[in-house]
Amino acid sequence: MSRRNSNNDNLSNSQNEENALWSIVGYLLSGLLIWGGIGWGFDRWLGTTYLVLVGMLLGAGASIYLVWLRFGRD
Amino acid sequence: MEGTLNLVGYGLSAIGPAIATGMIFAAYISGVARQPEARSVLQPIAFLGFALAEALALFGLVLAFVL
Amino acid sequence: MGVRLAAEDGFQPPSTADFELPPVFGDNPYTTKPVFLVFFSVILISVFFILASRKALVVPSKLQFAGESIYGFVRNDLARDVIGHEFMRFVPYLFTLFTFILTNNLFGIIPFLQFPTMSRVSFPYVLALFTFVIFHYVAIKHKGLITYLKEIMFMPGVPKPVYVLLTPIEVATYFIVRPLTLSLRLFANMFAGHLLLLVFILGGEHLLQGVIGLKLVSPFAFAFGIALTFFEFMVQCLQAYIFTLLTALYIAGALADEH
Repeated sequence: MSRRNSNNDNLSNSQNEENALWSIVGYLLSGLLIWGGIGWGFDRWLGTTYLVLVGMLLGAGASIYLVWLRFGRD
Repeated sequence: MEGTLNLVGYGLSAIGPAIATGMIFAAYISGVARQPEARSVLQPIAFLGFALAEALALFGLVLAFVL
Repeated sequence: MGVRLAAEDGFQPPSTADFELPPVFGDNPYTTKPVFLVFFSVILISVFFILASRKALVVPSKLQFAGESIYGFVRNDLARDVIGHEFMRFVPYLFTLFTFILTNNLFGIIPFLQFPTMSRVSFPYVLALFTFVIFHYVAIKHKGLITYLKEIMFMPGVPKPVYVLLTPIEVATYFIVRPLTLSLRLFANMFAGHLLLLVFILGGEHLLQGVIGLKLVSPFAFAFGIALTFFEFMVQCLQAYIFTLLTALYIAGALADEH
């Protein structure tokens, strides 16, 4: 028990890392899906083909920005 | 056998991000192992690198379904 | 862009159709093998833990030791280390989840049962739904609905127009992607693993019926199938652990006061 308490700092650190990795993947996936989906919808509506790519790039950029906000800055 | 070539393309495109993720965390682990107090400096960098590499892999995944 | 490769000697590779088992009694769709496996797993888990905890001794018997080490693992390594000081409320749910998923996964490699229940996608969906409801309920009760939604939707320290970009992503992450990835990860691992075993075992069997050269190759296919069975055992334990760990992480996130 006491050993665990002295280790608590390291332990919570590695748990944080695990948590962060799963949420990074979640953010990237939902960013791509949401904005790619919006682009895809506009493609269907306007009869173009490039908007899905624009949407996906936008979503990927936005979710990387979000990851930086959550985990990158101090 | 039935299938679509998109999945083969996705498999190929996943190789790069997989290697990249491995290299990022290998460097992160050896950095933290050598200097445990550098963890707080290295962690955001490793996570951002991971996010960038992973974004490419997910791009491939989504494009495999869209195209 | 469909591609079709003609199989020359009539070998039917295993496909998704192998997972759609026929009903056992008549044509009632609720009596398929996975349903019975779920009931069987519930009976199995109950009997095991009732026997293990019935005569609790200070010097534990082997059965009691096995039961207690599983319980101790879930309570200490999953619940306490992840959730923190309020962990005791969630131990029953986490423990049920872990043993249920583990038993149902292990059915995939137990002879005569040999079907991982979680390779039917509706079972993981329901489990993820439970987790989804629980962690949102805990968060709303702990923080209040308005604060919780505000915390999800609006990151502090961002210029206002950027919220148009970021808020949909946050909402989608919390309400769609989290439960979906939770269930699909478990489903896909079990599905792919079972398919992989089918490919090697059925392929080896088919090779045995070929010409003499093919017969010599088939032991390698069987050997690979056996090696992959051990690999599957590892994956099945790991997926049960990951599902429970992620549930604990989400609950911990719901209890934490971040901002």
